[in-house]
Amino acid sequence: MIRVLAPLPVLLPLLAAGLTLVLGRFPRLQRTVAVAVLGAVLGISVVLLVNANASALGAEATTVGGWPAELGISLVVDRLSAVMLVVGTTVTFGVLLYAIGQGSADAREGDPPPVSIFYPTYLVLTAGVCNAFLAADLFNLFVGFEVLLAASYVLLTLGGTGPRIRAGVTYVVMSLLSSTIFLIGIGFTYAATGTLNLAQLAERIGALPEATQTLLQVALLVAFGIKAAVFPLSAWLPDSYPTAPTPITAVFAGLLTKVGVYAIIRVQTLLFPSGALDGLLLWTALATMLVGILGAIAQTDLKRMLSFTLVSHIGYMVFGIGLATTAGFAGAIFYVAHHILIQTTLFLAAGLVEFGAGSTLISRLGGLARVAPVIAVLFFVPAMNLAGIPPLSGFIGKLGLLEAGAQVGSPLAWALVGGSVLTSLLTLYAVAKVWNRAFWHPVENDDAPESEPGPMRSQVRLMVGATAGFTVVTLGLTVFAGPLYGLADRAAQDLLARRPYVDAVLHQPAPAGPVAAPVGGAP
Amino acid sequence: MLLLIAAQLVAALLAPALVRWWGPRAFFALALVPAATFGWLLAALPRLTAEGAVREQVGWIPTLRLDLDLRIDALAALMALLVTGVGALILLYSRWYFADEREGLGRYAFSFMAFAGAMLGLVVSDNVLLLYVFWELTTIFSYLLIAQYYDVRSSRRAALQALIVTTFGGLAMLVGFVLLGAVSGSYQLSYLVAHPPQGGVAVAAAVLLLLGVLSKSAIVPLHFWLPSAMAAPTPVSAYLHAAAMVKAGIYLIARMNPQFAALPVWRWSLLVLGAAGLLVGAWKALRQADLKLLLAYGTVSQLGFMAFSFGIGTPQAALAGVLLIVAHALYKSTTFLVVGAIDHATGTRDLRLLSGLGRRAPLLALAAALGIASMIGVPPLLGFVAKDAVYEAARGTLPAGPGPVVLVAVTFLGAVLTVAYGVRFWWGAFATWDPDRPEADRARPTHAVGRGIVAAPLLLALAGLGAGLTLPWLGPALARAAGTPELEVGLWHGIGLPLLASLAGLLGGAVLVVALRRRGAVRALVPEHLEAQAQYRRLMRGLDRVAGEVTGATQRGSLPFYLGAALVVLAALLLWVLLAGGRPALPGGWEPWDSPAEAWVAVLTVIAVVAAARSRQRLAAVLLVGVSGYAMVAIFVMRGAPDLALTQALVETCTLVAFVLVLRKLPKTIRHRHSGRQRARRLLIAIPLGVLVAVGGAVALGMRTAPAISERFPGPVYDFGGGRNIVNVILVDLRAWDTFGEISVLLAAATGVASLVFLRRPTGSPPQLDQNARRRTALPAQHRTFLRGGLAVAAENRSVVLELATRVLFPTMIVLSVYLLFAGHNVPGGGFTGGLVAGLALVVRYLAAGRYELGEAAPIDAGLVLGLGLLFAGGTGAAALLTGGAVLQSTIWTATLPLFGDVKLVSALFFDIGVYLVVVGLVLDILRSLGAELDRREESAGAAPNAGGEPAR
Repeated sequence: MIRVLAPLPVLLPLLAAGLTLVLGRFPRLQRTVAVAVLGAVLGISVVLLVNANASALGAEATTVGGWPAELGISLVVDRLSAVMLVVGTTVTFGVLLYAIGQGSADAREGDPPPVSIFYPTYLVLTAGVCNAFLAADLFNLFVGFEVLLAASYVLLTLGGTGPRIRAGVTYVVMSLLSSTIFLIGIGFTYAATGTLNLAQLAERIGALPEATQTLLQVALLVAFGIKAAVFPLSAWLPDSYPTAPTPITAVFAGLLTKVGVYAIIRVQTLLFPSGALDGLLLWTALATMLVGILGAIAQTDLKRMLSFTLVSHIGYMVFGIGLATTAGFAGAIFYVAHHILIQTTLFLAAGLVEFGAGSTLISRLGGLARVAPVIAVLFFVPAMNLAGIPPLSGFIGKLGLLEAGAQVGSPLAWALVGGSVLTSLLTLYAVAKVWNRAFWHPVENDDAPESEPGPMRSQVRLMVGATAGFTVVTLGLTVFAGPLYGLADRAAQDLLARRPYVDAVLHQPAPAGPVAAPVGGAP
Repeated sequence: MLLLIAAQLVAALLAPALVRWWGPRAFFALALVPAATFGWLLAALPRLTAEGAVREQVGWIPTLRLDLDLRIDALAALMALLVTGVGALILLYSRWYFADEREGLGRYAFSFMAFAGAMLGLVVSDNVLLLYVFWELTTIFSYLLIAQYYDVRSSRRAALQALIVTTFGGLAMLVGFVLLGAVSGSYQLSYLVAHPPQGGVAVAAAVLLLLGVLSKSAIVPLHFWLPSAMAAPTPVSAYLHAAAMVKAGIYLIARMNPQFAALPVWRWSLLVLGAAGLLVGAWKALRQADLKLLLAYGTVSQLGFMAFSFGIGTPQAALAGVLLIVAHALYKSTTFLVVGAIDHATGTRDLRLLSGLGRRAPLLALAAALGIASMIGVPPLLGFVAKDAVYEAARGTLPAGPGPVVLVAVTFLGAVLTVAYGVRFWWGAFATWDPDRPEADRARPTHAVGRGIVAAPLLLALAGLGAGLTLPWLGPALARAAGTPELEVGLWHGIGLPLLASLAGLLGGAVLVVALRRRGAVRALVPEHLEAQAQYRRLMRGLDRVAGEVTGATQRGSLPFYLGAALVVLAALLLWVLLAGGRPALPGGWEPWDSPAEAWVAVLTVIAVVAAARSRQRLAAVLLVGVSGYAMVAIFVMRGAPDLALTQALVETCTLVAFVLVLRKLPKTIRHRHSGRQRARRLLIAIPLGVLVAVGGAVALGMRTAPAISERFPGPVYDFGGGRNIVNVILVDLRAWDTFGEISVLLAAATGVASLVFLRRPTGSPPQLDQNARRRTALPAQHRTFLRGGLAVAAENRSVVLELATRVLFPTMIVLSVYLLFAGHNVPGGGFTGGLVAGLALVVRYLAAGRYELGEAAPIDAGLVLGLGLLFAGGTGAAALLTGGAVLQSTIWTATLPLFGDVKLVSALFFDIGVYLVVVGLVLDILRSLGAELDRREESAGAAPNAGGEPAR
């Protein structure tokens, strides 16, 4: 089962990418292929999650190419990666629908977007994200990153306008730097241990002197820190993300930084359980939260404001990671899942605002609550969720982190607890300010936006539907918070136990014979 | 109970639809929900009395110990009755208040009902986290309700201010709860009250909780949001700002009092801040001309009074506090509703303009009179009973508290002021003033005060009277709610201090009213700049400024700055680790190089890199960067890795071609030079970082604990992978998953190049000679020949030598590439190198004869090649899955063919073909985009001015 299913979240989107490229002249077919495949991948991810959760170890692994695990590349589905897969593919699937809506909606402007490029690249992006979650090999994790980054470079600069190219340069160069540092970290790691298999590393790294362990850890954490946008490695993000087309920004904001967070969680638990840098992580978490949210308050553009809240809330996840307790990791995992969905939803809602009002400059918005009540609801609910208003999922994640911090009880942990609630308050201030202006403030000049949307066209309905779907999913996080948080908690236990992952990779009966069975003889 | 709360929330969701169908009459239906809850509570009272408390528990998030844990004891029941009873009446009232309003009514109905549900949940929660959930929900819905008329600036500002202030307090309270939970191991409210923590934790928790209480219940100094919140519609004020929401904090005090009353910080805070609120609020109420604002400050005053009362700390004081809660809920909602009715009928709330309303609306005046009488403590109304109880409590005090004299004096002073503003309210609203002043100044009633709109305030006012009169029956219940069943609540305690003080207070108030009328307007006592409101504004402005400054400092918008920051972080951390780790151990048998040639290569690389950084010529810089690439080729060769060397050389060449194609569009020289300081700064980062990384690598290598995994590769690579070229088997089998990912990177890169160059034009195959051009070449179409595209190139741009060489090179290279592809599994080569060679063959043809030749050589869309390549590679993986192997697992077929002998075919070959295609596709894509398309643009740009004649010089 796992043998077949685990590679599919990568294999299927890549096959579909090839197919859509071949079908470059048939946009309708491209669309069908993309939707069907991403939908299927979402379904597969759910099955993988259910399977992993039900399995004895809580983790299942398969080896690519049927090689012995320690030689080849393994793919692992444990509770953490399965949760990330499900959330990640939910986002890519939902945003695809939104993008289809918007793409067609934009067509009325008269210039068709280069769809022949959008679908394959978007599928490659999905494959990269999934691969990063599945990889049980440090280099393969790097490859996953490269795949998703290469696709993201293309998507970010879609349309090639001046601001996008400028933002693209910042983004590409920073990402390349991060990849280079990642490679340095991989080099260090292989030099010291002679392997890159994560499970093997888990067994071997402990034998290294503590300082050497920290050396490897530092290189990897800086690399992931750039990707995850942890202060002071975060400034590139608000300068690049908001310029992309809305659905792209939504996926980037929701998903890509979280791949970095996922990688941090993975290496912190599996490779470096000694906790040498936990204090440092907590400090950076605090700085990330506060600097990020102050940035959000200072913004005049809705998408840029949201990008800063994104940076700020990465701090919450790092907070949980830095605590390095079960409760801390559980909080971080829940928060990651919550934040992926909520940030995506908010950017999609911002896209609706842009669509309805023709701008995301906050000073040029106004009166949307009256003109577009549906958009208002679709913005308000996720915005309050982001600000951690109970009983929405943002509150639940935050509460988990607060409880975890209180459990640790050190002065630094309490400082983080204080910083968390302060950030929460300032987030509320930032989003409520925007709400006051964009939705309640009366429109000053009547001629500016052609605010009469008229009867909703089917494409717009698709955009609104996708956003509403995400909103419903985020509400589901509240309704089913009990089992979901329980899952996050079990995932955190697995992470700290480390054994399930290692056993799943290295100590399971090999699937097929280790030597190729010669099949057939006749040509 | 849970069902009833849910019912309110469901009703909230249905409310907009109901309002759309039925208009304001929908409020009748909506009022049924809280009314039914009220009835249920009444019916449950006997059970409650018998059992002490009714509980209900449903699990929600057990991991976080956040469960739907409800408990109705006497206090909760009392609060719930108030919340639902007053709520139902105000909904009834809304039917008439909003009789001629349609816009936003659905929104109002939703928020109001949801608020009612949240408030109900708040008072019956037995889990402090759940309590916080409802607490914050009331904040959010109050935000929406305050800004009901959001077109008005003050409404929006007031809503935001209320939101921020109360959420601030709420979050502090949440931290307090988490602290309590962490220390005592439970979030159950009843458990926490029964097991109070000790020492510093208790103090910290008490302070945090107090912040929540102060902000929610508008107690000085966090009271300022409440008067601003009067921008809300009056029914909202009557409910949120009188009966329900602002009582949440007081309710929490009442709940926590048994636990915290022993703490001086808790009691003193309540006493001091409560007294301050009582006096400041009442004083400011005296100064208001707007009836609603007057009531708002009156509320601030009364809420302070309640806090003060609880702060005394004795059981009697707790009882007095509970009585105040009930009395205030009844009379303050009455008076607010009266103001709403006045506003509705006359269009003003200014007591200087109103006159003669008492005669026109006697019932309304009666309701107001009863309300005010209760407020100022006229017997036998409930307000009198409550005030009486406070005096009673003030006489006895705890050891570490202020003396009775102070307490009684404060209460008395508050009472005098309350009487004064109470009388001023009623007089201002209903009396007939200054008959000699011209009528024009007065507000004219736009319509008579309707009967319906009077019903709710009158009922509430009568409830206050009834409660006072039925005290013998009601008293024990109220005492139980206060947790002091042993105390007696009575209307008549005989002639003693309380009664005398009450009467003296009434008298004093009357004197004050008269005195103030003589002296004219009441002047401000507190300077404006000390006002909490102004402080809040200043704080928020400061916040915005700090946010701007911090962001300006960190968010420079400069890529070099960001790069520098990241590199400095890395360097600092590496330095710290290497220093902290003691003397770095170098690997055993450390040698600087294996052969001196390596050193020379290294030196060459360094020189090339430095020269590249210093070069002013773009092309030169690119070539110099290429030198370091070729230096790697040399290293690979010296290390005995021909395969890697070959690949590296080909990659380097292709990269150079791509670079050169792009450089055509850029200026030849790099004009922008960095200043010496900038360069020094960069060197200061670059050189140490380089050294640190090198040292780090050496240290890591020196710590090697286990043999490298690659040492185990050779055997399985041949047995299981079926190939003798270990590099190729690693690429297409052992680590094929990596390769699969990397070719999708190539694919993405190719689409990116095409996307940027073609932008919105559809991409396609490279340009081919169209029929006209073919005819011009005077060659029959079926005459297949090389370099026909060159015929479209101007003669002076053609090179005969190059064309001739190409005729030889192209087929050779294609054959070589195919050979490399098929032989790669066993000898140096493989799909990647093969693809590169084929790509270079295309490059050669393009360079020899221009863009049309490219189309002639490869008349297909690059996307098709790329897509097919990925499909091939992925298909190989999928096929392995379908045949029961692991993904990308190789199958080896052996056969004996005539002529060829024993032939071994490994399925990884198909994967390699995919790689080959993707690489060819990439090169083709780059050529068609950066080559052919840019050529076309240059030509059309060059042709355009010519078409218009000679360009003017």
